[in-house]
Amino acid sequence: MKPVEYWNKIVKRPALLIGLLLLLVQLAALLFGPLMTPYSPVEANPLETLQAPSLQHPLGTDVSGMDIFSRIVYATRINLIISIGAVGIAFLVGVPIGLFIGYYRGLVSGLIMRVFDFIQAFPVFVLGLALVSVLGQEIWNVAIVLAVLFTPMFARLIRAEVLSLRERPFVSAARCNGATDRVILFKHLLPNALTASSVQISISIGMAILLTAGLSFIGAGVRTPTPEWGLMVSDGAQQMILGVWWVSLFPGLAIVLSVLCFALLGDQLKTFFDPHSKPANIRG
Amino acid sequence: MVLRRLYTLWLTAVPRFLRIIVSRFLVFVPQLCGVLFITFTLIRLLPGDPALTLLGNLATPEAIAALRERLGLNQGILQQFVLYAQNVAHGDLGTSILTSNPVTVDLSERAPATFELIFYALLTTIIGGLLMAALAVVHPRGFFDRVGQLYGLVAGAIPDFWVALLLIYVGFHCLGWAPPPFGRLDTFVNAPPRCTGFLTIDSLLVGDWQAFTSAFGRLILPVATLTIVNAGALMKMARTVLAANYNSEFAQHARACGLRERTIVWSALRNSLPPLITQIGFLAGFLLGGAVLVETIFSWNGVGQYAVQAVVRSDYAALQGFVLLASVFILLVYLAVDIIYELADPRIEV
Repeated sequence: MKPVEYWNKIVKRPALLIGLLLLLVQLAALLFGPLMTPYSPVEANPLETLQAPSLQHPLGTDVSGMDIFSRIVYATRINLIISIGAVGIAFLVGVPIGLFIGYYRGLVSGLIMRVFDFIQAFPVFVLGLALVSVLGQEIWNVAIVLAVLFTPMFARLIRAEVLSLRERPFVSAARCNGATDRVILFKHLLPNALTASSVQISISIGMAILLTAGLSFIGAGVRTPTPEWGLMVSDGAQQMILGVWWVSLFPGLAIVLSVLCFALLGDQLKTFFDPHSKPANIRG
Repeated sequence: MVLRRLYTLWLTAVPRFLRIIVSRFLVFVPQLCGVLFITFTLIRLLPGDPALTLLGNLATPEAIAALRERLGLNQGILQQFVLYAQNVAHGDLGTSILTSNPVTVDLSERAPATFELIFYALLTTIIGGLLMAALAVVHPRGFFDRVGQLYGLVAGAIPDFWVALLLIYVGFHCLGWAPPPFGRLDTFVNAPPRCTGFLTIDSLLVGDWQAFTSAFGRLILPVATLTIVNAGALMKMARTVLAANYNSEFAQHARACGLRERTIVWSALRNSLPPLITQIGFLAGFLLGGAVLVETIFSWNGVGQYAVQAVVRSDYAALQGFVLLASVFILLVYLAVDIIYELADPRIEV
């Protein structure tokens, strides 16, 4: 296809267009953050605390006089790295596990499934809170905890696919040709089983952003003065009652747009792979 | 042979609802052991001496030695677990560093506040979600269909703590009709004598109208927060299921027979129940997670806020107690969901 045809396809789907635009904005903030921001994200200016949005500070300043726009742009980096890192780990760990417990059915596979059932039975946020506080509140620990919470989901999706694929004739044909288990698993089953879990990646990144922000909001995730969206919302929580709205509003809006972006892209991927499917749910 | 005969007896002589309840409880017990094991290992994941962790840095050597003895830290890991399970069974969850009360006392004081919040949020979420779904299904491409689609998309992306703050800003600061977000009762209102722990119910029981309106007013914003954030997922799910039933052949038949529209919607709802019940079970879990954030914002003084304080101050006995309470609550919800699910769908074999 020519680039023009791609473009026409994209324009016909406003959801895809909005999702891609939001992703582009985030990538720009991620890569060129320092070039886009007029102030340092952690430099407090005690003379300019709680300034309303103005030309100097487009989104205002917070309690310690830090520029909110600069902090939001820088925070994109932390939030996306944590979320994408967590989902990446979960995918890389969950996919092989799902492959094995789908292909080899026995006591061990059953046991692993029960463990997954168990992890998934807990309310995500409660388990995340407990694990982060036990592991210690470091940025990487947040990512690891989220990875632990998301791994069962990927493993489960792959397992479900493998369970049906392994009974197909092409697998028997491969076996008749003398293919080893390893070849069957990675060459025949893996590529066919990946669709559902690849779609889940995008949606999970959105979930991870929400969870990271929630953990940081109550002080169990990233710590001040690191710019992070949830933390920034909590910085403004006290002022909200007094009518200082900009400190919390804008970082929260950043969360909404970022999660929305990954949800939209996930939905589009899903309809691309499976045109009859229903849009996915972020919560539940 | 005997087993087989017993099995047929089980299938024929025991009433169905009894069979459902007994079989679910059989699964419940190992699940409970699993939960105990998780909360047990939680503290032992931390590097260092668990006794020191639980008592904090200011503990005396005697206190540490005493706790080491009580936790059985000198014995094998299996004995430690058995000892922990015994302590929990006796209602002993350790002592909170923060309040210096037994964790059991702290939790039982605060739990009703959380459950009251979750209860009303669950009620409004179910009513709101199902109502929007029904309106969208009955009038496709109508106003509610379009608004619902947009809402379903955005609701999944908004953080609950942010919505709470926006509601406080609009309701309390701008419009001024919402009560200040500090606690469950207005400052000069006395709490009604405790019976259920739900302030709205307790105040009605003694006929204290002032306390009731105060407690009700304080509930509005937190409940609205949880509803706005969580009703979207339920609505999306309900729409799909309800639409399938509403446009199904049995509904067409009912329509052809000239039944009233209301009757058809009701029967479609009745047939959508089983998957909805499962979703509502998940919802209870999400509400509990959301309550942790919302309670902190509204100074609700429930178990969620207690857990946050425990995390911030490294009060691990309290945190352990909260995780245990939360997971037992979820297990009970899932138990109830499973039982109701099987009761609601008579086709399921038990």
